[in-house]
This record gives sequence, structure tokens and C-alpha cells, in this order.
Amino acid sequence: MSRRYPILAGVLRRRRRGLAIWAVALASVCGMYTSLFPYMSGMDIEAMTASLPQGMMEALGYDDISTAAGYVGSATYGLVALALLLVFAIGGGAATIAGPEERGELELELTSPLPRSAIYGQRLAALWIQITVLVAVVFAVTFTLNLLQELGIPQGDMVAATVQLWLLIGFFGSVSLALGAALGRRAGALGGAAALAVLSWMFNALGPLIGLDWLAMISPIGWYMDTNPMTRGFHGADALLLVVASGLTLAGGWWRFARRDLMT
Amino acid sequence: MIAIRELVKDYGPFRALHGVDLEVARGEAFGFIGPNGAGKSTAIRCLLDLLRPTSGSVEVLGTRDLAKHPAVRARIGYLPGELVMAGKQTARDHLTYLRELRGGAGSGRMEALAERFGLDLDRPFRGLSKGNKQKVGVVQAFMHEPELLILDEPTSGLDPLLQQEFLSLAREAREAGATLFISSHILSELEAVARRVAIIRAGRIVDVEDVAILRERAGQHLSLTFDAPLSAAAIDAFSAMPELEGLVISENALTAVLHGSPDRVLKEAARSTVTAWSAHDRNLEELFMERYREPDAADHDGRRR
Repeated sequence: MSRRYPILAGVLRRRRRGLAIWAVALASVCGMYTSLFPYMSGMDIEAMTASLPQGMMEALGYDDISTAAGYVGSATYGLVALALLLVFAIGGGAATIAGPEERGELELELTSPLPRSAIYGQRLAALWIQITVLVAVVFAVTFTLNLLQELGIPQGDMVAATVQLWLLIGFFGSVSLALGAALGRRAGALGGAAALAVLSWMFNALGPLIGLDWLAMISPIGWYMDTNPMTRGFHGADALLLVVASGLTLAGGWWRFARRDLMT
Repeated sequence: MIAIRELVKDYGPFRALHGVDLEVARGEAFGFIGPNGAGKSTAIRCLLDLLRPTSGSVEVLGTRDLAKHPAVRARIGYLPGELVMAGKQTARDHLTYLRELRGGAGSGRMEALAERFGLDLDRPFRGLSKGNKQKVGVVQAFMHEPELLILDEPTSGLDPLLQQEFLSLAREAREAGATLFISSHILSELEAVARRVAIIRAGRIVDVEDVAILRERAGQHLSLTFDAPLSAAAIDAFSAMPELEGLVISENALTAVLHGSPDRVLKEAARSTVTAWSAHDRNLEELFMERYREPDAADHDGRRR
């Protein structure tokens, strides 16, 4: 692979340690949250959450938290895995082109015989591969605990939630990478992608609360989970929206990267 | 090999290059000299397609559009003015990676060059001194035996011994037929390799000159001390010499800037008893102060470019 795709191979080689640490951390946190469910269901969760207003419960995805699918969907897939993976994807996206360019590390790569398209394409592939590995880790842990603890979450729903999580995280990684490639500035990439993530979470969670349902419909996080990713099944149209949004963002980033001054 | 025509480069409202013209022939060793911030690195980055010209054109190794033909860069060795590499990896990791980006060229020479410059390939880049980092830069620029070497301030950070080693490496490359384009703000380090030199100042080429002529123009600070005040005849003789500029004679000391051969001065001085003497090359800054102070100073030569 290092012959045909030297940049992809090089980036993955340098990232393997960091990726392994992320995988272990993500597996522990997701495993911990998911395995808490049997203990939680022993307590009277309904009573614990009854004091919350109904709208807030829906916004947090806690309305069906007493079922295994509802709990894993809101706690693991809707909260900890989502947040950690967003941090990884946005940070990793900004560190794919903008970070090393800004530090000056990319100068000899950019003056190598490879075209800018290879640099953009192979670094993008490296980011998506890392995201894929981490999403697979989340899936593997949840899938295993589902079997071991006999949680009874339908496997089809779990696959659907994972695919849509993968597309969502890939989208935010792509936004961060594309912004960084367009601007050449790490802070701009991080700030832009993080702001989009926060807005999109707020639109999805709070829009319906204030009677503006359409806010959730334009939110990428809404396309991923609506109220609960684990119970909604596969939504082809929303998945397609995530794919198209990623594609458009990446095309825009490439358009600028191909034309602008580098290393300024 | 290199042809730059009316190259203009703006950074926002700031114009870094005001229409630069340069031509470097195959096999030539060409110096590119000017004070820091004059636009040397900007011009070099346009050559490599890191920067896109605002107007004008750049031709390297027969291609005018490196964006369309990036593979041409396999035949170029480039040493950046300030080499930065990720800190955790060793020099060997970095060099191996660069070799892969170039399709495997340079395997054989990497170790030999590292040994020649006394570079330990297995230490993390982060821990290397400035000089050692510069050695990594030199090794990567030369290891694939490129036809064209573009070197931005190549000897900065190297100690004098390694500067000599670098200069002999550059001469070997030239003898092997490579074309060299070397930027510097120090004239003496170019003298050892380059034959022709372009002088850039504030984004304009103010002169393209033979390096020996430039050296003569820059001159040397000369000072002589005698055991007694000079005779009137000796003072007249020194005053009449056109190669002495800014001649000052006070009591038994003489100072001047010498342009060209010291022969007549020494023969005249030898008539008296010389108790002390010194002569050292003037640096480029002094030459700039004197000759290229005005951006249009080269007009006086009638050879503005």
C-alpha cells in the first residue's frame, strides 16, 4: 500500500498509537455506560426522571430510558460515544491538513512529485479509515454487551444506528478537514466544525421544545438520531442527506485547496 | 532550466514581488542574494507551485504548469529556508517517508550522506539541534540526485566545518551536471559555488552579475599601521590609487575600502615599515547600504531588469 498510496500509509503509520489509545478509551467508556443498564433498570428510573418536564425528557432522549434500546440509544449512542467521536473527528479533521500545514510540516510533502489531489484524497481517506475503526469499536462493544447481558436490542436496529453514526461522524470530520484545507488554519477548522456541531445538537434537541420542529429537520445530528438512534431504524433519506452534505463540503474544500497559496 | 518572467506576487494588499525576471541555464550554479524579507523565499515558493503568481509566469524544467505536471518535482531537490518536521519521528522515518513520496528514489544515498554530515538518523527530530535539522534538510534535498537543486539559505545553522562540507557537496552536484539555484543573504557562501548572482531587494531584481565582479564591487576593509607618520610622497601615492575608496590617513595609520587587486597598495606600503595590517571582506549589508539603497539604484548602470 505504501507504494501506491504513500501518504495514506504514512499518516496511518504515524497515527496508529494515538488511534489505539482512542479505541481503548472509547471501548471502556462505552462499555461502562452500556453495562450499567441492568443496574439502572433495577432502580426506578421512571421515578427518577419524572420530575423532568416531558419536553426535556424527549429532548434528552430519556422518554424511553427504561428499555434497553432506549437507554443504549440515549446514553451510549446519543451521548458519550457521540460526543467522544465528534471530538475525535473534528480534532482529527483539523489535524489532517491545516495543523501540519500551519506548523510547516507539510512543506516537503507539498513539494513532492505528488499532486495536491493525492495529498487531499489520501489524507481524507486516512481520516475516514480512523473514524471507521473507532465507530466499529463502539459497535463491537455494544454488540457484545447486548449478547452477554441479554439486553435484547434488535441487531438490525443496532446496525442501522451504527451506520448512521458512522455517516454523521464522517460528516463532521469532513467539515473540519475541508475547512482546514480551504483556510490553512487549524483554529478556523476547529472553530467552524465545533460551532456547527453545537448548533446542530441544539437545533435537534431544543427546536421541538420551542415549537420549531423544522430546526431539527435541518440539523445533521437530527438526521442521525431524531430522538433516539437505537429505536428509529434505518432512514435512507437522512443517511443520503449526510452523504450528500459530506460530499458537498469536501468538494468545496478541494476547490479552494487546489487553487490557493499553501504554506503562507 | 528556470525561467521567471515578470513575476508579481501579492499577499493581500502587500506586493512581495514587483515583476521579477530571471533565467537560469542548465548546468549553471546560480546565486540569489538579498537581505531577509526581500522576496527570495516567495520567488522560490512560486517556482515550486506552493504559491500561485498574481501575474507573470514561472517555468521549471520545461514545464510552465507544475499543478498539471507535479511529477516534474521528482527531478527537483528542495531545501526549505526553515525545515519543520513532526517531532516524534526520527530523521530516518522522515527521510524514508520522503523517499516513498518520490517513488523510492534515493535509497542508496541516504545513509552515505547522513554519515558524511555526521547525522544520527535514529534520534527523534524534536530533539535535534538547529544544525542537525539542517543536515536532515540537506540529506533529503540531495539524496535522490536531482537535476535541479533549489536551496533556500542552505548553510544557515551549519557550523563552519559543515558549511565547507556542504559547499563541496554542492560543487560535486554541479560537476555531475546538476543545476543549482541557491538563495542566501551572505555573499561569501555563494562565492564558493555560484558563478552568477541575482540581487533582489524589496521584491525587485536590482542586478544580475558575475560573482567575482560583485566581490570586487563589495571590496575589503583595509587597514595598515606604520611605525612612523607617512611621508608626503607616500600619502600622494596612496591618494592617487583608484582602487582605494574612502581613504583616511591619520598620523601613522591608513584605512580605506579596497576594490580589486591589493598589489599596488602592498608594494607602496612596503616602502615604509608596516607594524600591523588587516583586510576583511565587506558584507553584503554594507554593499546594499552603499549601492542598492534606492530601489531604482540599478538604473545608474543602465541595466535595470
